[in-house]
Amino acid sequence: MLEIIFLLFGYSMMFFGALGVIRFPDVYTRLHAATKCDTGGAMGIVFGLALMADAPIIVKAKLLILLMFIAMINPMISHAIAKGAYRYGVKPKVEVDMYAWDNP
Amino acid sequence: MTRVPLYLRSRIEEVRKRFTYELYESQKLPDWERFAITWIVLMVFWLIITSDLTLQGLALGLPATGIVAYFMRDFLTDDIRHSKHLVGKLLYFALLYLPQYFIIMAFRLLESNIKVAKHALLGDIRPGIVKIKTDLHSDTGVTILANSITLTPGTLTLDVVKKLDGTYLYVHWIDVQTLNPDKAGEIIKGDVEEWLKKVFW
Repeated sequence: MLEIIFLLFGYSMMFFGALGVIRFPDVYTRLHAATKCDTGGAMGIVFGLALMADAPIIVKAKLLILLMFIAMINPMISHAIAKGAYRYGVKPKVEVDMYAWDNP
Repeated sequence: MTRVPLYLRSRIEEVRKRFTYELYESQKLPDWERFAITWIVLMVFWLIITSDLTLQGLALGLPATGIVAYFMRDFLTDDIRHSKHLVGKLLYFALLYLPQYFIIMAFRLLESNIKVAKHALLGDIRPGIVKIKTDLHSDTGVTILANSITLTPGTLTLDVVKKLDGTYLYVHWIDVQTLNPDKAGEIIKGDVEEWLKKVFW
């Protein structure tokens, strides 16, 4: 029962992440949707599979290690994409931009 | 500070830089402790990845991770604060620090997912890029803090700049509430920085 809840949470978060990628206006806000919803959705799905799998405990530990790597690597990639987009010259649609004040 | 002559000001800067460096050097761990911590972490990783608990697997894994840990001992444990004995440190880290941090971050990730779904449905965003200051100096601590900020609700780290009086983070905030750096830092960082200051310097 519990793993069904985790799997449904993961699938719905993936759906809302895709919806956010379509609806948000520029690169940085789209990265918000992509990073957080992908991390939460993938972690929910993998954790549900780790609960559901009929396997010895050490294989489940492997799935938990995979979950930790997802949570570590996904923010780094989003940070690299955001900084690369800013260096390339994509202007954000924002109200205040302190990064442009300090790096003219 | 305005009446201080120029040569004196540069002298003060030099003394402060040397003081920071000596503070860092005195807080480093001794050599064998760094080697032991790296070896234990790599050994746990090896056991989980190979999933081989027999005597042969242990006999293959112990020297292999030992050799890797001897060469790589500076990378993982360079920034850990020098506080207690090795066994107490490892027990505190494995039993108290890591589970509490994981539970806090799991609930904040859940909250941020629900918040992004709400923003995607309703479309009420007011984005902005703000600048906050942290007291952490080390590379590992700043990396973990920036990753935690990316996973907390409504924020995304854009860049990190190191100055002498602290480290500054530029954060893209999807719903700007305040522009004051101290209040923004309190809202964005929360209690993650207090957690990281207990182990990293």
